[in-house]
Amino acid sequence: MKETIYIFSNGRLRRKDNSLIFETEDGQKKFIPVENIKEIFLFGEVDINTKALNFLSQKEIVVHYFNYYGYHTGSFYPREHYNSGYMILKQAEHYLNETERVFIAKRFIEGAAKNSLKILKYYNRRGKDLNNQINEIERLVLELRNYNSVDKAMAIEGQIKQTYYQGFDIIINSDEFKFEERSKKPPKNRINALISFSNSLIYNYCLSEIYKTHLDPRIGYLHTTNFRKFTLNLDIAEIFKPVIGDRTILSLLNKGIIKPNDFEDKLEGVYLKETGRKKFLQAMEERLKQTIKHSKLNRQVSYRRLIRLELYKLEKHFIGEEEYEPFVMDW
Amino acid sequence: MFVILYYDVGEKRCAKMLKTCRKYLQWVQNSVFEGEISIANLEKLTYEISEIIKPQEGDSVIIYKFRTKRYTERVVFGIDKKDDLSFI
Repeated sequence: MKETIYIFSNGRLRRKDNSLIFETEDGQKKFIPVENIKEIFLFGEVDINTKALNFLSQKEIVVHYFNYYGYHTGSFYPREHYNSGYMILKQAEHYLNETERVFIAKRFIEGAAKNSLKILKYYNRRGKDLNNQINEIERLVLELRNYNSVDKAMAIEGQIKQTYYQGFDIIINSDEFKFEERSKKPPKNRINALISFSNSLIYNYCLSEIYKTHLDPRIGYLHTTNFRKFTLNLDIAEIFKPVIGDRTILSLLNKGIIKPNDFEDKLEGVYLKETGRKKFLQAMEERLKQTIKHSKLNRQVSYRRLIRLELYKLEKHFIGEEEYEPFVMDW
Repeated sequence: MFVILYYDVGEKRCAKMLKTCRKYLQWVQNSVFEGEISIANLEKLTYEISEIIKPQEGDSVIIYKFRTKRYTERVVFGIDKKDDLSFI
């Protein structure tokens, strides 16, 4: 499994001896084995020149840039190497056909909702009273079936999310980490800062995985395709936000690993400090590498791999081989 | 798969070996490397090595392969020169 590299230090990333080297400001040199890297996340101030970018592109490495506050600035998405005109046509066909598009969009919502339910039920079994939220989400999932437009489905998705997040206050039950309501750009409290950071990471993991398939990240189904950015990764991320992100958040908080002093107030919002970001990324890396037994493939698969498998399922759906079923946690 | 690789090659080929191994594995000590590597990449690496070394001049390269690191323990005395590369 190829590795992910997170760079927090300031410095310069260069090509050297057909491999990569990172030179920190104080002159330390770290050689990075280029053949073993899938993607690089840049949180520090890093200089890169064309030579390095050309090399990264040649080695099919995706680079994600984050700004000072941990917001995703953009990604260096190298020249496509898995070109398939056929797949793009199929992908577009499923977007343009309203019935097909709604089908896929609803599947994403369903997958996300079912995974959220798994989390709520897990904590419900452990003595947190989440019955109201569970019943409400189950009702909404059933209601989703009646609608045949993406806008309606989106509205239901919003309600599911809201109900789901209400459960967070019951699960965490801490004065220092109150959820209250979802706030973005800027996140108004610590939980929201964590959720935002976690989501932006998952978007990028999904983007890196899409790069390894024939799919075009610009054509999304739940999130309307527009002229600006990648959307398919946002769709896929919906399914994995609870599975990978929220579980990491909740376990870090319950174990008391992330503390209030890992956050700071800035620009009328709350952000993770570098210490907090590092702790979170470390936990995230562990989670992504953790393996589970895949019931259909009958072998151990890492969470990271699950994202790619999800994309393969989509490809199969597009070429009419097998209808798409979203991944739902087994336990 | 996790591998440990070490080599003993003629002076002229040392730099070349170092550069080649750096592309795939992490440097630990002089002429010692370790790291995760895929089967395909190990194949590539061994090919590249075979192009560099000259057995007739006494060169030797040894690779230890581990399917998992589960039954191993890494003990370091003195300085661990291997960097943590996931978080720089």
